[in-house]
Amino acid sequence: MIDTIFIGLSLGSVLLLVALGLAITYGAMGVINMAHGEMVMIGAYTAVLTSLYLGFGLIAAMPVAFLVTALLGLAIEKLVVRRLYGRLLDTLLATWGVAILIQQAVRLSFGLAFFGITVAGLGPGLQNVSLPEWLGGTFSLAGSQISVYRSFIILVSVALAALTWGLMYRTSFGMQLRAIMRNPQMAAACGIDTARINALAFAYGSGLAGVAGVLMAGFKTVFPDMGTPMVVDGFLVVVMGGVGSLIGSILSSAILGQINGLTAAVSNDIIARAIVFAVVIAVIIWRPKGLFSYKGR
Amino acid sequence: MLTLEKVDSFYGRSHILHGLDLAVPGGEITAIVGRNGTGKTTLLKTIMGLTDRIGGRIVLDGRELSAEPTHKRARAGIAYVPQGRQIIPDFTIRENIVMGGFATTGRGRPRSGGIPPLVPKLFPYLMQNLDRPGGVLSGGQQQQLAIARALAAEPSVLLLDEPTEGIQPNIVEEIQNIVVRLNAEEGLTIVLVEQNVAFARSAGHHFAMLEKGRAVASGPIATLTDELIHRHIAV
Ligand SMILES: Nc1ncnc2c1ncn2[C@@H]1O[C@H](COP(=O)(O)OP(=O)(O)O)[C@@H](O)[C@H]1O
Ligand SMILES: [Mg+2]
Repeated sequence: MIDTIFIGLSLGSVLLLVALGLAITYGAMGVINMAHGEMVMIGAYTAVLTSLYLGFGLIAAMPVAFLVTALLGLAIEKLVVRRLYGRLLDTLLATWGVAILIQQAVRLSFGLAFFGITVAGLGPGLQNVSLPEWLGGTFSLAGSQISVYRSFIILVSVALAALTWGLMYRTSFGMQLRAIMRNPQMAAACGIDTARINALAFAYGSGLAGVAGVLMAGFKTVFPDMGTPMVVDGFLVVVMGGVGSLIGSILSSAILGQINGLTAAVSNDIIARAIVFAVVIAVIIWRPKGLFSYKGR
Repeated sequence: MLTLEKVDSFYGRSHILHGLDLAVPGGEITAIVGRNGTGKTTLLKTIMGLTDRIGGRIVLDGRELSAEPTHKRARAGIAYVPQGRQIIPDFTIRENIVMGGFATTGRGRPRSGGIPPLVPKLFPYLMQNLDRPGGVLSGGQQQQLAIARALAAEPSVLLLDEPTEGIQPNIVEEIQNIVVRLNAEEGLTIVLVEQNVAFARSAGHHFAMLEKGRAVASGPIATLTDELIHRHIAV
């Protein structure tokens, strides 16, 4: 039983890292970034490639993946999203296009496939990252065998969620971002450079998704489409938790992770997904603004 | 001195201000009067760069602001107290005030990073409740908070949009006194949008009368005659 709860918690943790970025960008900019899942995928490939070519372990891959995806996120914000603020459908379409572009870039080894060159670690196939010895095993807790790696995922996510909380509530950057989430016009009228803060927030959220990708690479196969379901799941979390609520995102990713883990343990992944959707729909009917909605006036 | 030259302003395709000229002399109070829906709020938003598109020129002390984004106008020294106050209900009173201070970034002096010295002097109540959420305040207290937030920007020009609208009568006079003091004692240039003609007359040095997005009269406050008011405001 405890081991199943740990599986659920670790799923929820990865989900949280993905959802935080979506929650921030949707809350501040009203933008649904369909390419957010591709940040997870790029993070996972960063783990694959740094291990293959540089001999990095998963832990060393995390900061690299954060940087790579944060920079990629920054580029997407500057080149695409910034031009489409306030146009929800246009950003949906445009970022979806960016998502496909990124997937194909990986599938075609950034175009090298056209010249018949194959790059180990890229291409359409499946990739794997092996866990270091000390993360691989299990330990026993109250009579259950708990995966060390699952626990590691939970620890990393808790640490990053705490870091994000600190960033949002204890720094000047966070205060500016929260002000933009509440009232962008007034924030600008108070001298806040909304374009700059939005871009940084976008990059930070993308970086978190990249780290989530590294964590996923440790327990799942890595392939070019792996990010697609992540956007959907991340959005379920944001919608259920309440837009703009950090606590809401944490709680709903924990709940959805548990439901996923528990149902998958007694039946299978497909049923688990169906139940997750059912729960989210039920919550939205019960509280249309999510569990923790911001009470505007 | 803040001047607007032939300013047009738009929300999407709606053309709201039409070739508006306005001179706001430094260190004085300019009252903006006119009927509801005539463009007074839009005028202040236009000065802040919060409408969708403008034409013409906006110049503050020789610096052209027409093409600058909103945050640069705030940093140039213009602070905005909007109609309806727009304080952030789930920010604490302290956070609401500190928020205004981001306008002091990049002015070559250290950010005060906190509560401007004027606030304890003018709004003791806010100082005693710094850690309560802004949303619990009454309308009048929220108005004080919105003014405190604007002062955190250490502005030279203050834009006030109907500061006494919808406020308990016992606080109206207090807010009016503060507006007058900010000008008289702190030397702030004030653009005061005001429906209350008596207050506009007693506080203002100059006035501009708007009708349907055009300035139909302006000048020293003494020239804001009953006849003008009758023609453009009273129905
Ligand atoms: N956000 C907006 N979008 C479109 N039209 C607007 C918007 N805000 C105000 N208006 C229109 O602009 C005109 C002027 O409004 P406003 O500046 O609020 O007037 P006032 O402050 O003098 O009452 C009105 O006709 C109003 O309907
Ligand atoms: Mg108005």
